[in-house]
Amino acid sequence: MRMSTDRILTSHSGSLPRPDELIEANRAREAGATADEQRFQEQLRSAVLEVVRRQQAVGIDIPGDGEFGKSMGHRVNYRAWWSYCFNRLSGLDLGGPGLYDAPPRRTRPGEIVLTSPADRRDRTTFAGVYNDPEGSVYTGPRAAHWPVCVGPVSYKGQAAIQADIAHFKAGLEACGVEEGFMTSVAPGSAARLANFYYKTDEEFLFAYADALREEYKAIVDAGLILQLDDPAMADNWDMVNPEPSVKDYQKFSMVRVEALNHAIKGLPSDRIRFHLCWGSWHGPHTTDIPLRDIVDVMLAVNARAYSFEAGNVRHEHEWTVWEDVALPDGKFILPGVVSHATNVVEHPELVAQRIVRFANIVGRERVVASTDCGLGGRVHALIAWAKLDALNQGAALASRKLWGKCDNTARPLPRLRGRSA
Amino acid sequence: MKRSIDRILTTHAGSLPRPEDLMELYRNDAPDSRLLPRLQSAIADVAKRQADSGTDIVNDGEFGKAMRRAVDFGAWWSYVYDRLAGFSVRTETAEKGRAAWTFGSKERKEFAEFYAEDGGMGRAQTGSSSSRMFGLTCTGPVKYVGHQAIRRDIEFLAPAIRGLGVEEAFITAVSPATLQILANEHYKNQQDYTWALAEAIGEEYKMIVDAGFILQIDDPALVDIWDWWFSLKGDTAGYRKWAEFQVEAVNHALRGIPEDRVRFHICWGSWHGPHTGDTPLKEIADLLLRVKAQAYSIEAANARHEHEWKVWKHVKLPDGKLLIPGVVSHATNIVEHPELVADRIVRFAQVVGRENVIAGTDCGLGGRIHRQLAWAKLTALSEGAKLASKELWH
Repeated sequence: MRMSTDRILTSHSGSLPRPDELIEANRAREAGATADEQRFQEQLRSAVLEVVRRQQAVGIDIPGDGEFGKSMGHRVNYRAWWSYCFNRLSGLDLGGPGLYDAPPRRTRPGEIVLTSPADRRDRTTFAGVYNDPEGSVYTGPRAAHWPVCVGPVSYKGQAAIQADIAHFKAGLEACGVEEGFMTSVAPGSAARLANFYYKTDEEFLFAYADALREEYKAIVDAGLILQLDDPAMADNWDMVNPEPSVKDYQKFSMVRVEALNHAIKGLPSDRIRFHLCWGSWHGPHTTDIPLRDIVDVMLAVNARAYSFEAGNVRHEHEWTVWEDVALPDGKFILPGVVSHATNVVEHPELVAQRIVRFANIVGRERVVASTDCGLGGRVHALIAWAKLDALNQGAALASRKLWGKCDNTARPLPRLRGRSA
Repeated sequence: MKRSIDRILTTHAGSLPRPEDLMELYRNDAPDSRLLPRLQSAIADVAKRQADSGTDIVNDGEFGKAMRRAVDFGAWWSYVYDRLAGFSVRTETAEKGRAAWTFGSKERKEFAEFYAEDGGMGRAQTGSSSSRMFGLTCTGPVKYVGHQAIRRDIEFLAPAIRGLGVEEAFITAVSPATLQILANEHYKNQQDYTWALAEAIGEEYKMIVDAGFILQIDDPALVDIWDWWFSLKGDTAGYRKWAEFQVEAVNHALRGIPEDRVRFHICWGSWHGPHTGDTPLKEIADLLLRVKAQAYSIEAANARHEHEWKVWKHVKLPDGKLLIPGVVSHATNIVEHPELVADRIVRFAQVVGRENVIAGTDCGLGGRIHRQLAWAKLTALSEGAKLASKELWH
């Protein structure tokens, strides 16, 4: 896995804005109205090629496929990173009640259960914000149905993942890029569904781990970096009502880490990176658990690198956590230095300040600059690309500061977007 | 003007969320007999709520400045056209809409699709009483006729703050630079127009200060106009010349007013856009300091301007002056973590001195974000200021 050996490399969390035509095609396909699957796949392949090209043009060192194989049928979409796997698993009934129709569940000390999305603590504290008709927390059209587990879970997405891999590898090859990453959802995040089949939630979780392993293995076997998306590790905290003790929560989360480590057992950890975030919706996030309380849980995942939010106002201050936590030898981090949480495009100087803070603690070669979370579906396409541009400009400034012979201020700065510096 | 003698004081940029029924009264152009009693009680409530959330230097939430709906980015300047004579509506200007003001914007060109689609992502961008002003044109001598309105604002705020234990109170008023954005057909040139506007609005300034309140002049135009008028052509010299004149004009409006009763607010416009066209603070900091105010309120909490605390390492804040950096922002729904607020305050304190920093907001919170978020952010602001005070004074 590439590290920042002689300058700060850049990557991002995965999701990028889909072209409008692909969104249209996805919508038709989701409704079962795609007559010509072959033609759809060709369209998808050329969209992936284009998004790899565009990442290269903007300067992203470690690109992804934009998660284009994970269907978004609307420009505003916060769930494709997870919902894509519903069709790749057997044992699910896709006609269950909608996500927000589930009944709340209460946690007792020592016995954590996840409540319904509608009963999240942030959502109930800020009910007025979430129900605002002006729609500032709008997360796109809601699905009428959400899956429930009714039988043994196994992987049936072989063709889908092979198509994703083939499209992406073709894009990488055409652009002459050697290293690219592909996301896949972690069991702890994927198995947050009602379970009517397995005796215990733990059994359900490990069944998911066994099933998803096939996807993980396919990605690694294809020579791609596997990114495991696991927002649940952090955002489950807000989904436990009332607020549990940190100790109970860590215990609950460690079971999910065990399931994940089980799923990637035997796969080279050098090819795996892990993504953590607190949920990307535009809410107040006042109930986010501090990174400090889950950092050891995160580091227990057998991955080489860790991606996490550090570019939004609820988590920006947490760079100091790394002053007290030893990042194990050989591992590195991908802090978010631009965020989906604001339309304002980060100034490259701010991006550089953020990168340098991390580099000064963990070492410059152990920081790859990244985004808080996926940009696709969360901000306008023009904003998303402007943010990736700012990310790369900021990384260049930081590299100059961290590797340059003299102080950054004594050297001419590169021309910034808009007005020159 | 109060300063942070033994702890970091807190304030905000002015606008706070209006109660729904007050907005309805404005929306329906209710008669004074119905509007005024509610306005007075709403101002009393909002003053108390600021005190309760730990704000030291409070205001009337700009409630006397008509806001008609929950999303409104323009009340801070639209209010004044009920208080100025000399303007009438020209349909040909109205038809141009916002483009009449932002005709030279590089950012609006580069992000045309974004702006055309209202953000396109279900996030309201523009609902604004500014749009009521499209077409408004200066067609006769400008004259301040708002004495009764500003007297009313003053008379409602004065009793509202009694007994709250707050340090001080301020009232906002718009700048000449902002006023000169609207088209002029009467004066022979833009300079004469601006000067007349300065003389007119100066009357409002004087009444606020004479009543014992801190005057806050809102002057986003001083920085916005770079992108709106000059950026497409890249005309930095033209902008500089324009801005220098605006500083002279606002100082003309402030003549006779003691500097220590004035704070001056700049921001790069509070709409939820990319702001890539914003002029850097360092380009304008020296001019800003020429404004005869004791304190300068500046955005420093959003992603386009957060890095600019470093500017004050190179630009010396003159003795006796204060900075009111924004340490929480309207630009994101996420509520700033108090630790982040403290980090931001401490950075400024370390550069300009702790007694020269008052913690503020980037811009008004009212009309830009949901009311619950606005109050949560003010609470985060005062919690962060407490953390910073602990760090700075041990």
